[in-house]
Amino acid sequence: MLKLTEPLHNQIKAHGAASYPFEGCGLLLGRVENGDNVVAAVRPLPNTWPVEAEKPVRFLIDPKAWQQVEMEAMMNELDVIGIFHSHPDDVPVASPRDLAWASWSGYSYLITQVLAGKPTFSRSWQLKEDRSGFEEEVIEEIGGGDTARLGD
Amino acid sequence: MATIRIPTPLRPYTGNNAQVSVQGNTIGAALSHLTEQHPELRPHLFEGDKLRSFVNIYLNQEDVRYLEGAETEIGEGDTLMIIPSIAGGN
Repeated sequence: MLKLTEPLHNQIKAHGAASYPFEGCGLLLGRVENGDNVVAAVRPLPNTWPVEAEKPVRFLIDPKAWQQVEMEAMMNELDVIGIFHSHPDDVPVASPRDLAWASWSGYSYLITQVLAGKPTFSRSWQLKEDRSGFEEEVIEEIGGGDTARLGD
Repeated sequence: MATIRIPTPLRPYTGNNAQVSVQGNTIGAALSHLTEQHPELRPHLFEGDKLRSFVNIYLNQEDVRYLEGAETEIGEGDTLMIIPSIAGGN
């Protein structure tokens, strides 16, 4: 399960909108609590995919930027617990390319749909242990008490 | 001894330790000592004898690929970080 607050989700959605028509991306910082990824902060990062014309359908996070965020997280007693990115004008479903370039099971892969520049809703995914695919995880709004697909 | 910071998803394989102390004078030796201590980590970092393509090793904020790779020398008090390359798309 992925837990985050509405303001943090709004920050992610705003980055998706600002990046449109390109994919926007970044990292989720927080803690793993009882097997749930609990987000405490988000760090939008540049989409460094090298081919500009492909950025509406591709993203790449520079490992150096990730390393710096990891340092920041460590200093604040947090961890990198997931990755977020946007799918402009398409469903927020983990794609075969997301699968091909994923890393380890355990990170949350939060994907936000952005339609005509406006963010709609997000879904979150976890890589299966055997790397054969993604499975959806529930998103819970912290403090809201309800389990919901945020942004609907 | 150097220290290796373990990414969150790999901590179940290190007894939930965020950092592991390792012996060895090079990056390669340090990674070998890490996976000797925690054998279940190895398939998540290596494919055969080589690091998986998405795995990057940083030594004190430098990607070791731009240093001397596995032969890069390390010393007492150095910190290594395991950082994934992540890409994707629609």
